[in-house]
Amino acid sequence: MSENKFQQAELAALLGVIERLAGELSLAEEPARFTTALEEGAPAAGGGGTLGSPGPSR
Amino acid sequence: MADFPRLAATAAAIRQGKVSPIEVTRHCLDRVARLDGRLRAFITVDADRALGAARRLEEEAGRGQWRGALHGVPVAFKDLCVIRGLPTSCGTRTADYFTAEQECTAASRLLAAGAVCLGKLNMTELAMGALGDNPHHGHARNPWAVEHCTGGSSSGSGVAVAAGLALGAIGTDTGGSIRLPAAACGITGLKPTYGRVSRAGAMALSWSNDHLGPMARAAHDCALMLQVMAGPDPLDATASARPPDDYVAALDGPVRGLRVGVPRNFFFQGLDVEMEAAVRQAVATLATLGARVEEIHLPDPQVLNDITGLVSRSESTALHGGLLRERPHELGAFTRARLELGLSVPAHDYLQALRLRARLARTFTREVWSEVDVLAVPVIPEPAPPLRAALEGPLEEIVARQGRFSRLTRPFNGLGLPALSLPCGFSTGGLPLAFQLVGRPFDEATVLRLGHAYQRATDWHTREPDLA
Repeated sequence: MSENKFQQAELAALLGVIERLAGELSLAEEPARFTTALEEGAPAAGGGGTLGSPGPSR
Repeated sequence: MADFPRLAATAAAIRQGKVSPIEVTRHCLDRVARLDGRLRAFITVDADRALGAARRLEEEAGRGQWRGALHGVPVAFKDLCVIRGLPTSCGTRTADYFTAEQECTAASRLLAAGAVCLGKLNMTELAMGALGDNPHHGHARNPWAVEHCTGGSSSGSGVAVAAGLALGAIGTDTGGSIRLPAAACGITGLKPTYGRVSRAGAMALSWSNDHLGPMARAAHDCALMLQVMAGPDPLDATASARPPDDYVAALDGPVRGLRVGVPRNFFFQGLDVEMEAAVRQAVATLATLGARVEEIHLPDPQVLNDITGLVSRSESTALHGGLLRERPHELGAFTRARLELGLSVPAHDYLQALRLRARLARTFTREVWSEVDVLAVPVIPEPAPPLRAALEGPLEEIVARQGRFSRLTRPFNGLGLPALSLPCGFSTGGLPLAFQLVGRPFDEATVLRLGHAYQRATDWHTREPDLA
């Protein structure tokens, strides 16, 4: 396959994935929610991380 | 002095007056002079200034003045970090490709804490590429087997630490570029959470996926470096305002009861047999330490790879397209091909990819971190392959090979999660094997603690390559 053709094939595959999944996005979903997701998923600040314990959920 | 002094232990030894900054700096520079012609870890060695700095630090120590946690400890920086007085090639043919008004914040913080800068480290061109080759500065060489890949793009950082040329190094990681060379070279490397360490003063490859982090011999060393590097920075709008934890103090906390997830899907598929055995053995060791190991099904990591890849291609071409347009002949074929791909990504799809990334990060948090505290997965699918074979063949094969080598690291760039690569054995061919511990956002303290506990129970990270 020529250099151009294999790149076109790679790009088409990537764009296909985006197109397939983007249909599920709601109007409220925006890129900046990524940093919100990180902050929301973090343990409490200054707690020295997740503490091991035998409890089934935290 | 040991051939391969450890960063945290050396910082403590300097404090106790058992070894001097000049002695350690000279030790590293002597090794650079003796070995780096063969290993090519450095692009620029700054010997005179390093010795001058060590001398000043030694005088200060004599007066009882200590700059910080790394007083007198020699380190080196990937050659995309701006350091006052040194060129920043970013692995390109242009000696000073990247300039910034301010010194790299992360490096600057290490130096302010008393670290000694030995120089700037080799890397793949523009930080693209997973293998560690560089057509302009010479291919970095794996200290465990010089004909094998070092992993990239922070190739020189991996080699310098593994060969005992520097006690610690800064690497950057857009798709695995800290963890791949850490794994291939048998050292420890941490990609922190997105925004945990400022990116200011370091060349960007992809604003959305770039991370700076420490590379050293052990998790303890990485914790000490991260403690100094992490924190808010007004010069980087993406740096989190969240205060860093006390990573060093947290190292000795309990690991009993931590829930360690081992994915059923993706990460163990198509894995080299020895790699899989070593990673599973590492997980078994974690269980003996009291961790509760559970199998888990992850949201499709390949989708994350695709989305992360598309975002990286778009952003890297926006950043470095000028070089592609004006001096394409200066670029290696692989870099040129990756940048060209970015020219064809429609803005609409780029933005959809960023929206999807935000959704996937939320999904991952909901589905994974409700079940486990940490994930344990392989870093590289096989031991570092021979470099010549990895660079042979048509470009499409080389691109595919690079993609396969980084397929286990890239999902965590898209998710922005902290991931710590740790050595966990050697292949029958004598090449390092590795696994990574991945944690919740901003939970570096837990991955470092579990990594430290693992390294107290094993000795893989203490092994030293024979460089005689």
